[in-house]
Amino acid sequence: MSLKRVAVLLGKEFLQGPKNYIFVFAIVAPVIISLVFSLVFGTLFTDKPKLGIVDEGNSQLVAMSRELDSVITKEYSTVSDMRGAVESGAVDMGIVLPEGFDDTVSRGEKVEIEAYIWGESLARNRTILPVTIANLVRDLGGQEVPVEIESVTLGDEESIPWSDRLLPFIVLAAVFLGGLMLPATSLINEKQKKTLEALVITPTTIGDVFVAKGLVGIVISLVMGIAILLLNQAFGAEPLLLVGVLALGAIMAVELGLLCGALVKDITTLFALWKFAGILLFGPAFVYMFPQIPEWIGRIFPTYYIIQPIVDISQQGGGWPEIALNVSILAGLNLVLAVIVVFAARKTMQ
Amino acid sequence: MSFRIIKALVAKDLSLFFRNRFYALITVLGIVTYIAIYLVMPSSVDERLEIGLYAPVVPPVFEQISEEGVEIEPVESKEALVEAVIEGQYAAGVELPADIMEKFASGQKPQVTLYFTADAPEEVKDAVEFLIRELAYLQTGQMLAIDVSAEILGRDMLGEQIPTRDRMRPLFALALIMFETMGLASLISQEIEQGTAQALLVTPTNVKDLFAAKGLMGVGLAFAQAVFFMAIVGGMSSQPLIILTTLLLGAILVTGAGFLIASLSKDMMSVMAWGAVVIIVFAIPAFGIMVPGTISGWVKAIPSYYLADIVHQAANFGAGWGDVWPNLLILMGFNVAIVGGGIMALRRKFQ
Repeated sequence: MSLKRVAVLLGKEFLQGPKNYIFVFAIVAPVIISLVFSLVFGTLFTDKPKLGIVDEGNSQLVAMSRELDSVITKEYSTVSDMRGAVESGAVDMGIVLPEGFDDTVSRGEKVEIEAYIWGESLARNRTILPVTIANLVRDLGGQEVPVEIESVTLGDEESIPWSDRLLPFIVLAAVFLGGLMLPATSLINEKQKKTLEALVITPTTIGDVFVAKGLVGIVISLVMGIAILLLNQAFGAEPLLLVGVLALGAIMAVELGLLCGALVKDITTLFALWKFAGILLFGPAFVYMFPQIPEWIGRIFPTYYIIQPIVDISQQGGGWPEIALNVSILAGLNLVLAVIVVFAARKTMQ
Repeated sequence: MSFRIIKALVAKDLSLFFRNRFYALITVLGIVTYIAIYLVMPSSVDERLEIGLYAPVVPPVFEQISEEGVEIEPVESKEALVEAVIEGQYAAGVELPADIMEKFASGQKPQVTLYFTADAPEEVKDAVEFLIRELAYLQTGQMLAIDVSAEILGRDMLGEQIPTRDRMRPLFALALIMFETMGLASLISQEIEQGTAQALLVTPTNVKDLFAAKGLMGVGLAFAQAVFFMAIVGGMSSQPLIILTTLLLGAILVTGAGFLIASLSKDMMSVMAWGAVVIIVFAIPAFGIMVPGTISGWVKAIPSYYLADIVHQAANFGAGWGDVWPNLLILMGFNVAIVGGGIMALRRKFQ
């Protein structure tokens, strides 16, 4: 293997890369996915009940409700807008506060409230919202609470917000779109256009080609992995360790990409493979999204050993002792894959 | 148009498809994996708030509570209550003091202790606290001075909520169908790229035969996969004929989209570029079904909305022909427009 030739090929890959759809896709897609997830899905999958309010006067109850962490409050200007929101499930319950609502409550007089409930709203939310509204009304009326309440927290586990649950999926997408798809499509294209054959009859070896394409994948994959963690403010207290794990993840992605590139004969088959293997790669991400799925299922997938150390470092403040075992397994898997890639490269040469 | 030629072309495409064992195996494994994901996801919705109560003396209001979303279960001791909360048997534990009634009577404030696990969501903590406060108000005779007239909008699903995995069925079915769009577009694009399409046209095969063959192949593959998936995950247990009709129309829709993509693409890379755009746009309505209330009326401009909505309505709510016919008609209209547009665009490319 010649370093000079690898450098020349690498330069060519970086020069020609930005003209390639996959190259652009590998950079743009993870950023878009991350932005969409953090902007939309971060609050989308919340279990908090949603309350819609039409305030026909100028009630303080709206501001009081907005201040609550336990309920998502949305204000509507007309009753028909709110009815539409309830019918579509945008809110679990909508209420109409009549004009002079606060004064009537302060005087202790009876007041009528129109309420609309979404038919698919959970029973739990149908209880939480009226009880919350009742408490707000009593606060508004200045009623003194007749009990002292002390809350005791048991155990030391913490609730995992959806933004954290989705992070593994976004990181895997960033690492594998660049790491796997770039070398794979690049090799397949070279095979289809017969430029690979042309290359290897020069002093360039198949190893030089594989290394150059692999390095491009590793660089893009690593850069995108770091960018996604930065975008999601999930870099944790051990940045070097995290970059190390991402680098090992990028190597796994590239090895799989080179393997696909060597064994798959056309892009159509690569799509078909992505359709199936994509689910296998993203399997651990589903386990993080739904904690009801037993954790051992995640361990079946090779990408678990990339994502678990990343989660340990970025979300749980872990260090080397916590991730050592999983990182060792990841390094072992990378070695096994490297051997397979060498055999695949020889087969491609033939 | 010659049926004999179409039959031969379809047979050739199918044999090419299945001769590639890898391609065929991967397609089967893809369906199997979707089914596995469906089966692993929770099959029911836990919509009630279960609360454990340890109270040496239970105030009458606590005994009469009739909230539909709350279930209060008495527990024999404080230790048993704490244990049950830690084990996740209850969302929260409530401990009332033995002298609660005396304190209420004397105007004093009794101390109530609430137990939560550390991962209890904020809304559950607040809800239980608000509930206890409200019960205390009622026990001390402070009635709420509001009358609420409530109206349920839409079908009341209390007690029969749809699990997330069933809400995801249209998304899974759509994903299976949509990937065939790229497959078909690649196939056509390849034929144009390699010149085999033009070569075929100098034989007795005409453009119509070619379109019919590719269309049949695309529709057949997409339809068969979606039907198989829906049959396995129980999507056919309600209104099977409507589901079958809708999936067939969906398969025709994606075939039309495949024609359009192939007409816009020069090579495999542009098939991917256009295919990704179409897949993302077509998947939006299915996400809207998965997470209700997130998407507004504009989603009805996307043809796949009618496919996803009919599958959702028929499979999850048992909607009949009378409910879904307007959506079926619109879907057919989109099919005519998209398949027609795709054929016209491809015909120009062939010429």
